[in-house]
Amino acid sequence: MIAIWYAVVSFMLIVYIVLDGRNFGAGMLQWFVARTPEERRQVIAAIGPLWTWHEVWLLGFGGTLIAIFPRLMASAFAGYYLALFLILWCLILRGISLEVGGHINDRLWQGYWDFIFVCSNFLLAILFGAAAGNVARGVPLNADGNFSMAFFTDFNVRGHVGLLDWYTVSIAILAAVILGAHGATYLTLKTDGSVHDRSEKLAKYLWIAAVPLSVVVLVESRIVRPDLPGRALSNPFWWLGLIVTAVSIIALISGLVGKLERRAFLGSNFLIFGSLATGAVAIFPVMLHSTLATENSLTAYSVACSPSTLRFAGLWWPVGFALAVLYFVFISRRYTGKVSVQRDTQGFY
Amino acid sequence: MNSIFNDPGFWHRLQFGFTIVYHYLFPQLTMGLAWFLVYWKWRALRTGDEKYNQAVRFWAKIFGLNFAVGVVTGIPMEFQFGTNWADFSKYAGGVIGQTLAMEGMFAFFLESAFVGALIWGEKRLSPRGHFAAAIAVALGSWMSGYFILVTNSFMQHPVGYQIEPNGSLGIASMSAYLFNPWAFVQFTHNQLAAVVTGSFVVAAIGAFYALRGLHPVQARLYLRAGTFVGLIASLLVAFPTGDAQAKMVGHHQPVTLAAMEGKFEGGPMAGVNLIGQPNVAAQRLDNPIEVPGALSFLAYGHFGSFVHGLNDFPKDAWPDNIELLYYSFHIMITLGTLFIVLMGFATLQNLRGRLESSRLLLWVLMLAFPYPYIANTLGWMTAELGRQPWLIYGLFHTRDGYSKVVSDGDAIFTLIGFTGLYFVIGLLFLGLTGREIGKGPKEPAGASIISKPEREAVLV
Repeated sequence: MIAIWYAVVSFMLIVYIVLDGRNFGAGMLQWFVARTPEERRQVIAAIGPLWTWHEVWLLGFGGTLIAIFPRLMASAFAGYYLALFLILWCLILRGISLEVGGHINDRLWQGYWDFIFVCSNFLLAILFGAAAGNVARGVPLNADGNFSMAFFTDFNVRGHVGLLDWYTVSIAILAAVILGAHGATYLTLKTDGSVHDRSEKLAKYLWIAAVPLSVVVLVESRIVRPDLPGRALSNPFWWLGLIVTAVSIIALISGLVGKLERRAFLGSNFLIFGSLATGAVAIFPVMLHSTLATENSLTAYSVACSPSTLRFAGLWWPVGFALAVLYFVFISRRYTGKVSVQRDTQGFY
Repeated sequence: MNSIFNDPGFWHRLQFGFTIVYHYLFPQLTMGLAWFLVYWKWRALRTGDEKYNQAVRFWAKIFGLNFAVGVVTGIPMEFQFGTNWADFSKYAGGVIGQTLAMEGMFAFFLESAFVGALIWGEKRLSPRGHFAAAIAVALGSWMSGYFILVTNSFMQHPVGYQIEPNGSLGIASMSAYLFNPWAFVQFTHNQLAAVVTGSFVVAAIGAFYALRGLHPVQARLYLRAGTFVGLIASLLVAFPTGDAQAKMVGHHQPVTLAAMEGKFEGGPMAGVNLIGQPNVAAQRLDNPIEVPGALSFLAYGHFGSFVHGLNDFPKDAWPDNIELLYYSFHIMITLGTLFIVLMGFATLQNLRGRLESSRLLLWVLMLAFPYPYIANTLGWMTAELGRQPWLIYGLFHTRDGYSKVVSDGDAIFTLIGFTGLYFVIGLLFLGLTGREIGKGPKEPAGASIISKPEREAVLV
């Protein structure tokens, strides 16, 4: 029961990262793929109508987290206080720059908001990457299950750690590269002309760069959490996640090489999904690992709410999810194909 | 007495209060406006009159700006339950988290999946599809209102819960929790108040165009719809919903009612104070002008009914800011009454065919639009200040709910950050909305509309 809810909550967060990740990636590459105002509008049009739909998955995740694992939410969010507000402020700036940038047709105005847009998307990728690194490495949870963390301490991964250390920083860099590659793959699918060509080229470079970085992070993870893969090896879901990741890699490579844009983008989505899911399975049942003492760690079982409350959530969640799938089908049918600046821009009327 | 600065959770309360008041400026307009869009889109479908489509296009842009700011300012609200109110989330997350999550999955998913179609999609969708998108967005925004109000109602009047072995709260009865009687009253009251905001804004822009002699057809449309809907909604906000809300408070939170009315001594024939300043130190109301018996009648149905005064309750059960609570409640009531008078008069002039020729009335209508925002905000302040000193009424104190691991300095830092960021957002919002209003509803230009076969080509 608790394991299913752990899967549900992880699933919602991972879907959010996959969906909004394309916006982080496309957004941070905007300077590199779009040079003229027309090209700029192509990038915006590829993101524009759907970014709120992507962003509300974060709200869906947050709500589900409070509902199912209230004690984890309380401990983690209060502990990550300042880092979380940085994420929130970046999300605010990202949304604002996307919405207001197109309202005034002036180079200075748009240039300014492009700057905010690129920076906030880049920072979001970095911050979410660092957050993932923190979950993998663990945080200095005390015996009450609380922690309060500095941005960085001695850059070491044991004891009184900070938000940033050599391990979380390398994951943050990997996240920025992978999400950039994801965004470039998305833009390749959604645009035409020179934006398409530049994105295609960037996607290849970034995916290639992701390979050595991933190897480094895997080796580092082995050093930081030597205890990790042990339990996971006997978990069929871990192997399933691994297979999804492997198949996605093949799809991505064949898509990139054969210029099959839809296949490459699907591969990119499932690659991120599969690798994050593999990670989520690997740390289960610990949701927040303590770097001070293993017995302080918060497990899914210790932070979940009561069985009767879980039963209640079990009634509405599948309905909500089924509806979300319906919307998803509607959206993917409506917004299929390349974007057209003439049809999809904010100067729409 | 208990100064608010002695409250260790003060900065957390201030930050949550500030960010929620600011956030709610935007959804209250979108919730009100959504049904105007549905109505106009429906008229456009029925009559084929292009003026309705023009109105939808114009208001969809205003809606879109509000929606975007509503989304970006809304995300911090949910996260602050964890960051700033960790102990509250730990205690009650199993209950209130349900509706917060349901709001995300049922309301926001629906709203955000279709808002793009509503604002960006007229050229991609059939007219019927566009109408359906308008309905989906309206339903989504109202559902989100309901789930949030169920959450708030649980804090005002907890029902359907059980105390778990570990001391936290869990759900005992799903239907009792979701159909809290408090939520029903609060939802109708609050949603109608959002319609008041929507109709005042619609009427104000109509009045602006009428005064400038611009877009006469659109101006008439906005003025008529705005004043008529404004009158109906203002009436319903006061009666029966506002009345029912006050009775609910009188029944379940008698000490709150006493504080809202600044009533220190209880008794029969309790009056409503039209004017007066609560003097908490001297325990009396300065400069009162009272309608005797009115409060007894309004709250309990008889002029002779006994109404409790604050002194009937121990001091630690009093709301901790009686002055602010009293002023919030009274100014809200006064504004609500003025709304009925203004919209009633405007509707009368409309029926006599004089709405657009009375410049003074148009001026008043144009300048009146901020007041429903104020009234909405004060209504929420009444609800939330009145709930004090409880976070969940009768169960959990506000002072126990904030995050103990977050220092005051961190809370002040983020509060200042929000203040700066929201100031900039406010400037941008006003500037861009002003620009859209300045540009006005455009006549349809042939070139910008995609022809029917072309539109069908993009429908897969």
